[in-house]
Amino acid sequence: MDQNNSLPPYAQGLASPQGAMTPGIPIFSPMMPYGTGLTPQPIQNTSSLSILEEQQRQQQQQQQQQQQQQQQQQQQQQQAVAAVQQSTSQQATQGPSGQTPQLFHSQTLTTAPLPGTTPLYPSPMTPMTPITPATPASESSGIVPQLQNIVSTVNLGCKLDLKTIALRARNAEYNPKRFAAVIMRIREPRTTALIFSSGKMVCTGAKSEEQSRLAARKYARVVQKLGFPAKFLDFKIQNMVGSCDVKFPIRLEGLVLTHQQFSSYEPELFPGLIYRMIKPRIVLLIFVSGKVVLTGAKVRAEIYEAFENIYPILKGFRKTT
Amino acid sequence: MPGGGRCPDCGSAELVEDSHYSQSQLVCSDCGCVVTEGVLTTTYSDEGNLREVTYSRSTGENEQVSRSQQRGLRRVRDLCRVLQLPPTFEDTAVAYYQQAYRHSGIRAARLQKKEVLVGCCVLITCRQHNWPLTMGTICTLLYADLDAFSGTYMQIVKLLGLDVPSLCLADLVKTYCSSFKLFQASPSVPAKYVEDKEKMLSRTLQLVELADETWLVTGRHPLPVITAATFLAWQSLRPSDRLTCSLARFCKLANVDLPYPASSRLQELLAVLLRMAEQLAWLQVLKLNKRSVVKHISDLLQHRRTLVRKAFRDGTAEMEAQEEERQGQGQGQGRGKEEGGSSSLDLSEEKRGASPALLLPPCMLKPPKRIRPTPSVSTVTGDENISDSEIEQYLRTPQEVRDFLKAQAARQAAVSVPNPP
Repeated sequence: MDQNNSLPPYAQGLASPQGAMTPGIPIFSPMMPYGTGLTPQPIQNTSSLSILEEQQRQQQQQQQQQQQQQQQQQQQQQQAVAAVQQSTSQQATQGPSGQTPQLFHSQTLTTAPLPGTTPLYPSPMTPMTPITPATPASESSGIVPQLQNIVSTVNLGCKLDLKTIALRARNAEYNPKRFAAVIMRIREPRTTALIFSSGKMVCTGAKSEEQSRLAARKYARVVQKLGFPAKFLDFKIQNMVGSCDVKFPIRLEGLVLTHQQFSSYEPELFPGLIYRMIKPRIVLLIFVSGKVVLTGAKVRAEIYEAFENIYPILKGFRKTT
Repeated sequence: MPGGGRCPDCGSAELVEDSHYSQSQLVCSDCGCVVTEGVLTTTYSDEGNLREVTYSRSTGENEQVSRSQQRGLRRVRDLCRVLQLPPTFEDTAVAYYQQAYRHSGIRAARLQKKEVLVGCCVLITCRQHNWPLTMGTICTLLYADLDAFSGTYMQIVKLLGLDVPSLCLADLVKTYCSSFKLFQASPSVPAKYVEDKEKMLSRTLQLVELADETWLVTGRHPLPVITAATFLAWQSLRPSDRLTCSLARFCKLANVDLPYPASSRLQELLAVLLRMAEQLAWLQVLKLNKRSVVKHISDLLQHRRTLVRKAFRDGTAEMEAQEEERQGQGQGQGRGKEEGGSSSLDLSEEKRGASPALLLPPCMLKPPKRIRPTPSVSTVTGDENISDSEIEQYLRTPQEVRDFLKAQAARQAAVSVPNPP
């Protein structure tokens, strides 16, 4: 039976590969040069500790140019964190030391709390402009992720009649057969809200926490003016999305090999690498062009911290030729 | 022993509750006299008090393999046989399916998802044994959508906590190239198009390596790159006869489907080869174009390492140098020291006047589609006063509401009379 006849695109490769029963080709054949600084290891090798130790040593050597103090602090924190991580290890398949302590090579742990963390209900005195995290200039990446989207929820505290809202508001759409909520939009700040009949509301599209809060208040005011006793209870930011550009290309195949516990790279499905950072709990989409999207944060500081954690890892994949 | 009862026959107090088949009876244990009998049938009110336990809450689910799980396991074995996988793969895939079935989210999933799960288990097994199987193949065999497959695949990898290695490119090249029907003459394949398998394989491998080195493979589906490389390898082995053959015709000859991105990958690969050709002294004078460079692919591949190094500047070091210039000397020297050597080398190269291209992924070389608006610094506090007029603009006036209701009513009337006279 000629299988290839009926198979549409990409459905090739059904013949048995040569030497199928031999152990897999070591991934670091000359075909995929991954440059200096990384010890190649075949995939089946489960003693990933050796790679990580090697990398730790190399990174420490690189950082010997910098102050001794920070190195010592790093090591102490790594041990503490490695111990913590061992006790909360999620991966049953790998040993606890498979959790890379490399995440803590970043310098943010030694710095003061980021002034960029604005509280949700700021006093009028605190400045609202986004401030660069105060990491030491020589170690920081110098790149600040920009917030692209904030999703927040608020409880209006009363039952709503969606038909009335859709009838009497200009900026509302309501199609009960498609979705059981009114979709309302305002121009300033440019946001969209989903308003449910239970009185709960989801506000999306704002570019900062304060804008999200202001937009949610405006929606509540619109609902109030439509005759409902709307309140503004339990405003909470549920998700923040940020993006930035490291301005150099990244070898995603190499990154998935060294950080396989955290990364998922399937070029057949999606061109980017999905990196699930444990601390802080953020998901990063890393693309070959060097653009990074960070999502899953509840506060701004988590996005900054996640980026400062990933930047040294990405820098390690820069020199490839 | 129930209290207070006495046998009417012998007067003993030893009454036992016993059941004769399904009928409960009160029997005297001395003389065997049946004192009272239970009711064989249940009344309506009795039945109302009976509790039913759903199958999913009983223990029956755990004690036996459900029918849909049996079906799924059979499909896993069938799929392994269709793909002619070694027998050990079958056992691993079956084990994964059983493991997945223990999770309630999978047990309660729709049948479509369970069918896709069969393919996921087989794919994971193949990946872990470095057997090059693409998702496209599995989806075609399962008649499944790639979107549905991808969702289930990501879910199951996360759920089972599996470590799935990447697709092995070298193996994929070998299997894919072997599937091209060009190694024997046939009515559809003239003699001048027939090629030796080993030669074509080795050249294709070299071209794919070159593509990988020059950022044409990262982030992209691997198969179109391999198709383009196979085509170039085939053409370069006998260019005089084969230059007239197009990529589409080649795929039809070889009885292989042409993936859509393959033509753009081909153009990218040819551009890389052209840049490399500019570095070879005896090719510089020839003024090659995308068609004529094919004739010299063997030379280019022979010296590919030196040529790539000479033809392309290290794009990453270049960008570092630019960054350094932009940020000025104010920044710490620590970072600059590492790159100082390479950036000075780049600058000296630029001064020489040669302008080799940057070795970057194509997405970074293309000009940006739209200018990114610089994010404006907003001084919003979130607690500002909201003016009434601003809110009024979002509310309909009473006249507007009336008009809207009238329009709605008219539309309803029109809809309810589908064929107006």
